[in-house]
Amino acid sequence: MRKGIFKTGLLVLALLAALTPVYWMITISLKIEVDQFAYPPKWFWFTPTLRHYYDAFVTRSFGHYLLTSAIVAVVSTACALVIGTLAAYALTRFRLPYNLDRKLSLWILSTRMFPAIVTAVPLFLMMRDLRLLNTKASLIVVYTAFNLPFVVWMMRGFFAEVPRDLEEAALVDGDSRLGALVRVVLPLVSPGLAATAVFCLIVSWNEFLFALVLTQTDAAMTLPVGIAGRVTQYEIKWGVMSAAGAVAMIPILIFALAMQRYLVRGLSLGAVKG
Amino acid sequence: MPRSRRFFNAPNRRELLLPYLLVAPALAVLLALSIYPLLYSITISLQQETASGIVWTLAHFKRLLTDNFFRTAMVHTFVYAVAALTCEFLIGLVLALLLNQQIRGRGLFRASLLVPMMLPTVVVGVVWRLLLNPNFGAINGTLKQLGVNTEGLTWTASPRLAFVAVVAVDVWQWTPFVFLVLLAGLQAIPQEPYEAALIDGSSRWQTFRHVTLPLLKPAILIVLLLRTMDLLRVFDQIFILTEGGPGFATEMISLYIYRTAFRFSDFGYAAAMSFVLLAVTNFVSVVYLKLLQDEKRDF
Repeated sequence: MRKGIFKTGLLVLALLAALTPVYWMITISLKIEVDQFAYPPKWFWFTPTLRHYYDAFVTRSFGHYLLTSAIVAVVSTACALVIGTLAAYALTRFRLPYNLDRKLSLWILSTRMFPAIVTAVPLFLMMRDLRLLNTKASLIVVYTAFNLPFVVWMMRGFFAEVPRDLEEAALVDGDSRLGALVRVVLPLVSPGLAATAVFCLIVSWNEFLFALVLTQTDAAMTLPVGIAGRVTQYEIKWGVMSAAGAVAMIPILIFALAMQRYLVRGLSLGAVKG
Repeated sequence: MPRSRRFFNAPNRRELLLPYLLVAPALAVLLALSIYPLLYSITISLQQETASGIVWTLAHFKRLLTDNFFRTAMVHTFVYAVAALTCEFLIGLVLALLLNQQIRGRGLFRASLLVPMMLPTVVVGVVWRLLLNPNFGAINGTLKQLGVNTEGLTWTASPRLAFVAVVAVDVWQWTPFVFLVLLAGLQAIPQEPYEAALIDGSSRWQTFRHVTLPLLKPAILIVLLLRTMDLLRVFDQIFILTEGGPGFATEMISLYIYRTAFRFSDFGYAAAMSFVLLAVTNFVSVVYLKLLQDEKRDF
């Protein structure tokens, strides 16, 4: 009995520790200035206002950043998913000579291990030479490459779980390899495919360093870069900042909750099947 | 059972080429956007612009040896990584051991723990700037209410506290991940070894030391590997929270490379430093993977 209480207490404590900081930001985004700076801090009772949200997304350009973030995330995810799934399928279903299937998989994974700053410097110079700085295209291309190893590894795991007999049956029935992939295998791995897609969306949506390096103008600035640009300025509009932050995390939270079953697996690049 | 001929005959040319065709786009993208940039980076790290044009030189790498800022940033990064990794691992392990059983409201619990780690790092930075603000932040406000003198607690304005703060932020964000991976690992351990230990009359500590820990080792190594990689390259939260300051107190290697390249336009030197970071992360991951392989062989 006492053990049960201890455990429940521990759980509640862990939940509070995880959620309170985020809750605090949300309250700031809903408070008028006087309440933001109040002592003692106002955790619950304050007059809510949506003014900061209006300020951020209508008066200022955060609405525009939001749109850029969404476009970049969706397009790059779609590209990475198509290219990566095809590669993953080939690497799980075909034995290539010289153990090439295994070597290629490991090589693909290793590209994901590069610290972002290592490629950010040359990518900036390349994009500058190609006159692609401050374009959505540059971010889409970079995020596709960034997510690709992840898609390959996640989908390899999911493909490996599908019994080969099913495709072989389809092949016997006269389907082509690609036909079998599209009609038989993909429907079976669709939950995995969805989880992988959501993961790529989250990573692209959250990504900061490449976006910071490759976009400096409003034309292609994503939400994180927009927020960062304001935070590091001298005078900070805390309400606007918090409102932008709150909106930036909404899609992530919805997605993450929708696929929480696969989350540990995704964050460990398929290594842990939690 | 009749089977189609293509199953038994040698596959035709198209079948043989198919895997390569399927892999080709992925390889092309990675060659263009991961490998080519790396090679490009090597060339700029070995070049310097002088009055008489571009010359090949090792000057950037020589400069690494005498650059105190570089050395300090490296030391900060290691201290930061070790401190955060230790806290995350210990808290995550203790939580996982204590909560390794049916939890009521498990879905809600897990969903809530996911919140910190899924947040955009920039938002994490904003959240903690709001909490740690010495004047109106919730932390100092609450401490003051509890009667603590908060005058000295200037957080991001004091070198030492700023470092503690950036470590704490990472611990806040990533302990849930360590916890979830270790919990998944614990729940994959079969019951039999525990029953055997019980029959042998092992103490709880002995059971933990000789049954749980060895069986959990693969999960531990994987989660430590992933966290170490992320910690060594940390950039976003610190960029938002302290920008490496006050002074140089929380400057990490990624921030210093960023500043060198994009504030001072010294791309050659930035590239040279980034290879040191790459070598270090490679070395660390090779060590972990080696340990992990040895582990697999034992089974």
